[in-house]
This record gives sequence, C-alpha cells and structure tokens, in this order.
Amino acid sequence: MKRSAAEIVREYGPFAGVEAVHGVTYDGRHVWFASGDKLNAVDPDDGKIARSIDVAAHAGTAFDGRHLFQIAEDRIQKIDAATGKVLGTIPSPGGGGDSGLAWAEGSLWVGQYRERKIHQVDPETGKVLRTIESKRFVTGVTWVDGELWHGTWENEESDLRRIDPETGKVLEQLDLPAGTGVSGLESDGGDRFFCGGGDRGNVRAVRRPRRS
Amino acid sequence: MESLITAAARALEAGDPLGALNRVALRNDAPSLALRGIAMAQLGDLAKAKSLLRSAARAFGPREAVARARCIVAEAEIALVSRDLSWPVKALAAARATLDKHGDLANAAHAGHIEARRLLLLGRLDEAEHALAGLITSPLPAASQVVRELVGAGIAIRRLRTKDARAALDRAAHAVRLAGIPALAAEVEGANLVLDTPAARLIARGREHPLLLGEIEALATSKALVVDTFHHTIRRQGVVVSLGTRPVLFALARQLAQAWPADVSREALMAAAFHARHADESHRARLRVEIGRLRAKLRPLADVNATKQGFALTPRKTREVLVLARPVEEKHATVLALLCDGEPWSSSALALALRTSARTVQRALDELARSNKVQSFGHGRARRWMAPPVPGFPTGLLLPTPLLKT
Repeated sequence: MKRSAAEIVREYGPFAGVEAVHGVTYDGRHVWFASGDKLNAVDPDDGKIARSIDVAAHAGTAFDGRHLFQIAEDRIQKIDAATGKVLGTIPSPGGGGDSGLAWAEGSLWVGQYRERKIHQVDPETGKVLRTIESKRFVTGVTWVDGELWHGTWENEESDLRRIDPETGKVLEQLDLPAGTGVSGLESDGGDRFFCGGGDRGNVRAVRRPRRS
Repeated sequence: MESLITAAARALEAGDPLGALNRVALRNDAPSLALRGIAMAQLGDLAKAKSLLRSAARAFGPREAVARARCIVAEAEIALVSRDLSWPVKALAAARATLDKHGDLANAAHAGHIEARRLLLLGRLDEAEHALAGLITSPLPAASQVVRELVGAGIAIRRLRTKDARAALDRAAHAVRLAGIPALAAEVEGANLVLDTPAARLIARGREHPLLLGEIEALATSKALVVDTFHHTIRRQGVVVSLGTRPVLFALARQLAQAWPADVSREALMAAAFHARHADESHRARLRVEIGRLRAKLRPLADVNATKQGFALTPRKTREVLVLARPVEEKHATVLALLCDGEPWSSSALALALRTSARTVQRALDELARSNKVQSFGHGRARRWMAPPVPGFPTGLLLPTPLLKT
C-alpha cells in the first residue's frame, strides 16, 4: 500500500450561515455541498456561493450529469439540478446511518459510516446490489478513472483511501493533517479531490496523486 | 457524519428535543444513545439522560475518545444539576484532558466550568477561583462565556466583592445576548437579583433594616463595633475577636450589642445564652463566670459593665454598635440557605457541602419538612430536597452542543 500526506491545494469557506458540510459533489462547473437545510454551489475559481437550493441535506451528495442526489434522514432524494425540484426519493441502504454518496457506472454508492461499509445501490429502486467492507468509518465516497476512493474520520483523524472495489483492501492512503475531518468526497475527474470539512464548515481541494 | 444523526442533532440545536427523539428513538448505536441522552436531559428526565449518556460513552469505541469524553462531560453536568456531588471528578478531569489534546477547546472549557461550579457549590472558593483562572477565556462560544462569568460572579458574591460580582454579571449579560438562550438569560437575571435582594439585617440601637450585599461589604470599612452573626466575630475595622468556638459568649455579646446603649437584664441574658426559662442561683453564678470570660475576650474592643438590672456594653474608640444578622433567623438556616438555590439536593450532598454528618442533615430536613419549609421527592437514595426557588448561582443545564458532531 502506498501511503503519503495529503496535499491540500486550496480551502473554500467558511461560508456565512454554514455550520457544517455534510456532503460534496461536482457538476463540472460548481462544487456542491450539503449544509443541513441547503445545497450550495460554489464556483471553485472565486470560492463564492453562486447558487443554493433549499432542501434537507444531512449527509452525502452526488451528481449523475443531470440530477443531484442528496441524503436526508433515511432516504435519498433525486433533485433536478436546473430547477431544484425534488423528483423522487428512495430509501437509503443504511436506514439513516448513511454518510457518503457517489454516482458511477449507473449506480449510487453509499457509505455507511459506523458499519464501515459501502453499498452499491440501484438509483431507481434503492435496492442494494452489493456491499464492500472497509476498515474504518466511511464518510465521503467517489469514483474516478475506475478507482474507488472514500474518506474516513475517526477520533479526529482522517484520510482518503483508495480501496479495491472487489475485496475492500486498501491500495493507497492520503493522510490529512491531525484534526482535519473529511465529510463528503468528490473528484473533479482530474487531479483534484474536493473534501467537506465537517463542522469546520469548509471545503478543501486535495491533489490526487498522478499515475506514472 | 450520519444522515439521521445530523438531522436529529439539528433538531436538538433548534430546541426540538422531541423531533430529535423521533429520529433516533429506536436506534442503539453510540451517537444515537448520546443524542437521546441529551434530548432526555432537555426534557427534564435527568435519571434517564444519565443512563443513556453512560451507555453512549461505553458504546463509543476506543478510536472515538473525543466523542466518549464529550459524553462524560455531559453526564458530569447532569450530575451537577442533580446535586450529585459525589460524582467522580477524576473522570471529568481525564475527559477534559482528552478534549484539550484533540483541540476541542470549547468543550474542554465547558468541562472546566463544571468543575469550578462544583467547587463553588461546595464552598471551596479558593479552588473554584483557581480552576477558573486556569481555563482559556477566548475564543469561547457566547454560552460558555456566560457560564464562566456566572461562576466568577458566584465566587465574588460569596466573597462579598460586590463590584467584581456586578462587573462579571455585566459581562454575562452582554454575552447572553449573543448566545440567545432564554434559560441562560434567566439565570443571569436571577444572579443580578441576588445583588438587589437583602442579604442581611442590620440591628442598631434596637432598630433594624435590611442590607444589600454591597452595604454589607461597605461595613468592612465602617468605624463601628460590628457583631457579625455570619462569622461569629466581633470587630472594629482591623481588630477582630472571633467567638466561633464560644457560642455562649457570642450569644451574650450579641444580646448586649442589640440593646446598646441600654443594658440587658440578667434574666434576658440567661434566657438567650443558656436557654434557661426559670433562672436559679446556679444560672446566676454561671452568668457571672461567662461575663468575666467575655470581658476578657472583648478587652481590645469594649468593656462589659454591671448595671442595676444586669449588664451593658461600652465600646472603645467608637460611638456606634451594630449587629449584622441573617435576613431570616431560624434553626437550620444553613441547610435552608443551600436549598434556596432552587435545585434538588440529596441529603448526602447537603452533608458534604455543610461538612456535617448525614444524620444531622436528615434530622434538620425532617424538622424543616414538618414545618413545610422544604419538600422532597423520590425515594431511598434517589430522594431529593428542595426549597421554594430563590435566585442563586449557576444551576442550569447547558449540555455541550458540539457533542453531537463527530
């Protein structure tokens, strides 16, 4: 396993009226983050909130190209990114113990925090297709270039780890500085991860290691 | 971290404990137990809250030391409010160290405030002051600032430093506006009331009037001869005669001071000092002996002269004699004074605070209960005693809200 210190390239926030960041996603232009009763779109260039949607937003956030998916209480809401309208909901696999959310390959991937699990879920029905076990509490989840990454946070220690989607084995680990939490994780498809900072109420950009 | 936990925590913060319970009522994982505990505390079921928080502390794993420490702090606060003063302080100190180490300074300070409040309640003022001085002052959430100032004011009030108390309460009032918590605002108001409520009676030349705390403080620089029934001393500025261990002599001195410049009959003196209803010759002999002893003790401050009827006081170097007495004098006044903070006390906590035996306290409580001056609820070891609420020092519950976030 490769292990190194995470390189934080930029910090966004804290933002006025935002107490905590619960989930993060990226739509190609804006970084979206969940702040309890709102989804907020941040322009990653100027760091300002460009737009907000009033919707219950208690944990992970994902984007499938057209819709935002947002966990609230024990369900996953499907939201029209253009209008902010909730189009439908499915039950979340952790029954409310859910944390991170990602979209990839036609499925939703849901991190179940204390159970240390990642579920692959059918976005239409909420059916669990399969479950991957992790070693630590799972916060954010993201896929990039066929790699499955998730954030962890236990006792004020956090890291980003790439795991084998078949076995759950840790392949690579980026340690965040002590006391830096990760809540919510999303790749921009390039060399950046966006990580939610939990109750610090901020979002950090972390460099993704280059493949040689 | 977890969706429902976030939702429940938000409900709690918004002052909706029932909404929080709705979301986690059926869950038994560690954060849910902690949330349920805090919700129950806010709903007033402190016993249930305590057991839930204890379960939560156990359920958090070894890698979740911070969350566990926060549960311990919350449990300590519940113990303090329930007047369960025998609560293990070591666990609280360890929790505070853990929070400190992990940079949770607000909750670490909260733990320190709980410790200082406990010491204040126990009357260990030096230690309370020391504990408070060792804590960080900023940046703290406004609510924590309020608690800090209230503890400081409580210490100053007990020390008769009115100016310090007022300054602390002014700062508390400022911070409470930022905190916006009604219960806390009520506590600050209540504490202010203490400064504006008579704390003693002044008896001079047979007349009496109520004294505010500030006026009592001013007496310290008065040129008068002061018979202080709080401390069982007789003093004139820096000259102090302590009769704390001589109750008979003090009772005599007080009778003489109250009547001054008139004299007091032998019968009245014997009744007051010996509780003698029908004085006989042996009482008269004893009075002569005790007056002789009092004369010797009071020599630097006053003389005791025989009159036709009995005896009279002649103060030295002053023309004023004052008696400082409690606002209401009755048996078991110290027990009542503690109960007057409006919180439920166990008899063992009262014994601890009064440094006396549980049996003595129990007898006092039984007597007071018969005259309807105190009331009790609960049975056996869970029995608690209360007096009609009177403003006191910090008593309310202010569970650490960041407890809910991991």
